Amino acid sequence: MVHASEKTTSSDDVLARVQDIFRAELDDENLVIGPETSQNNLKAWDSLAHIRLIGGIENEFNIQLSLVEIEQTTSVRQFVRLIEERSR
Amino acid sequence: MSETPLSPGSVAKLTVQALPWLPRPAGKMRERVASLPPEPVAALKYLHALAQAAWGEADLRLLGRKVKSILQSAPPGFSAEARQGGLSQIRILVLSASTASHISDTLIGTAIRFRFLLDVAIAEYEEPESWIERNRAELKANPPDFVLVASDSRMLTLASPLGDDVAAEHAVEAGLARIARVAEVAGAATGRPVILQTLAGDPDAVQFNMDLGLPGSPRFLTSEFNRRLALRARQDSRLVLDVDALASLVGRAAWSAGRYWYAAKYPFATVMVPLYADNLMRIIAAQMGRSRRVLVLDLDNTMWGGIVGDDGIEGLALGSGSPLGEAHAALQRMALSLKQRGIILCVSSKNDEAIALEAFRGHPEMILREDDIVAFRVNWDDKAANIKAISDAIDLGLDSFVFLDDNPAERKRVRDALPAVAVPELPEDPSEWLAVFQAAGYFEQAGFSREDQLRAGFYKANALRASQMERIGDHDDYLLSLDMTLSIAPFDSVGRKRIAQLIAKSNQFNLTTRRYSEAEIAATRSNPDVFTIQARLADIFGDNGMISAVICRQAGPCWEIDTWIMSCRVLGRRVEEALLQYLVQQARLRGITEIVGRYIPTARNGLVRDHFERLGFAQTGSENAETTWRLAVGDYGEKNLPLKVDVQLDWKLASAGGF
Repeated sequence: MVHASEKTTSSDDVLARVQDIFRAELDDENLVIGPETSQNNLKAWDSLAHIRLIGGIENEFNIQLSLVEIEQTTSVRQFVRLIEERSR
Repeated sequence: MSETPLSPGSVAKLTVQALPWLPRPAGKMRERVASLPPEPVAALKYLHALAQAAWGEADLRLLGRKVKSILQSAPPGFSAEARQGGLSQIRILVLSASTASHISDTLIGTAIRFRFLLDVAIAEYEEPESWIERNRAELKANPPDFVLVASDSRMLTLASPLGDDVAAEHAVEAGLARIARVAEVAGAATGRPVILQTLAGDPDAVQFNMDLGLPGSPRFLTSEFNRRLALRARQDSRLVLDVDALASLVGRAAWSAGRYWYAAKYPFATVMVPLYADNLMRIIAAQMGRSRRVLVLDLDNTMWGGIVGDDGIEGLALGSGSPLGEAHAALQRMALSLKQRGIILCVSSKNDEAIALEAFRGHPEMILREDDIVAFRVNWDDKAANIKAISDAIDLGLDSFVFLDDNPAERKRVRDALPAVAVPELPEDPSEWLAVFQAAGYFEQAGFSREDQLRAGFYKANALRASQMERIGDHDDYLLSLDMTLSIAPFDSVGRKRIAQLIAKSNQFNLTTRRYSEAEIAATRSNPDVFTIQARLADIFGDNGMISAVICRQAGPCWEIDTWIMSCRVLGRRVEEALLQYLVQQARLRGITEIVGRYIPTARNGLVRDHFERLGFAQTGSENAETTWRLAVGDYGEKNLPLKVDVQLDWKLASAGGF
């Protein structure tokens, strides 16, 4: 729990790791996501999946999102931006 | 949960929710499950082995989904094959007023660690009473093996005015009555054991230091509720998942993590699901006779600090005088407490036997005495071979063994050579061992009977019998010399707890491995078509306690033996022949002309494959390795057996092993 992630976080790298989380949490090995992917255009991204995705992202990047962020982050673009801000 | 390499010595202390007694996982779950053996039972066995590591929540979900997909596409005839491979299919119904579906896959992924192929049905966001009401017919037709009433404080909302004893009493009783009603309805609808949960204290509630004694405070209401729930569960033979104890273990704030409740109505944090699931499976395993019963201890640097061969008896760290000695003494005290719970203690050590025994007998600070240890294997042989030898000597399967050793290399060797034996990982520092060992909960028991306390004595007496046999030589003369009395009675309320325990736990001498709850056992008394036997065996070395149970169901002029179980402690004593003789006598009295037997093979009951053949039954059928047998009552010839049979209508034995 204590070790900070040392990995570099270029946007592409972050996106690739986020995609892995989406694939694992939504149980879809072939899922391809992009910055435009959002709760509005990805059917599997329902409210329960959202909590799993939050948990997956928190684990992977060793960050914690606030309740407001949990509620307002609804697209991959927002996730990536949030992760980049936190990792700086 | 991340992939940071861990090296001993530099390891940050593992939290309880990280399941510190299990080896750390190697590799990534996604890659490990990517290519599985094509044959379903082989694939599931691979996943069982994989599940022995401390995977995190997300990995266990992935594992659970794999298990699910294998089960969904399993071919017909799979069930029998899985059972013979030691994998049991069980179904659980989880009743929750909050979110529960998110734990389903983790439960399945954890269950396979325990050789369970779990099927989970979830009823969530709804009061359990109304859900059961709506689904009563379906439950009756297709009952789950277990029902978990996953209540939490947010569902029950216990509340009463501060300082008002009477109101507090009412609030607690009302909460208990709700749970009792749910358990009653669920138990009646399914006929299966119901698992109840204690409530985790709410870390967000106002709480002062005095509150445990203040009626109406959240702390008072929750702890009163929990205490009474557990007491009544014991009376009513329900099972208890002590969620409050888990929350206390990891810290209440960490357990309940309000954000998950606010965001998704999760009753506790997702990172805790593996610990919760492991505990739930332990209870189920205990109920099914799968909990462990033997603790094998290493000596040097485990039982005591130091190496007796090098340091000498006076050089050992044990007991008062050194902090390290205190830690090892604490371990011995724990082992002694386990013995009082019916756990059998053994020793396996690489040592010179004479020197090790001298330390055992001669060190003034030893808490364990030679007499507490049922079997010693002290030599320079491989430990795995020694553990196997102990298992043969005391006649208990390796899957009831736990091996405690300070040396990581020995642990790994035993784990590799004997995967059925549980080998806990231990922190470097002996002062941290016990907490990790307790958290593993290897010896979980579903109930407590007097037999448990006496068990070590039974195994000791068996060792005495073995030396008597050696002295006499001839087996029949030996049996006669034991002066055995077999006491037979129908099932009754006094023996019910022990009968339930035998039915739940017997795996080897068990012809059909059918499990019945205490309620079902009680119901046999009023069913005129059911004939039951419970039997105790006493001899010159003592009372063996209740050692066998038989259930026959009548169909016309025929008895089908639904269940026949016996404790392996009394193998080779001709008890089964005496019981058959009694069955035949009773059959004659009742005009029964035929006794039918059935053998359903599992991974563990090969011992009784030829049981009916040995008793003179003729085989009438065979399907999927299941065999059926028949005995014409008229053809049976009375035998002269080396034991006295004492038939009782009531179980009023005033013997030492009574209840």
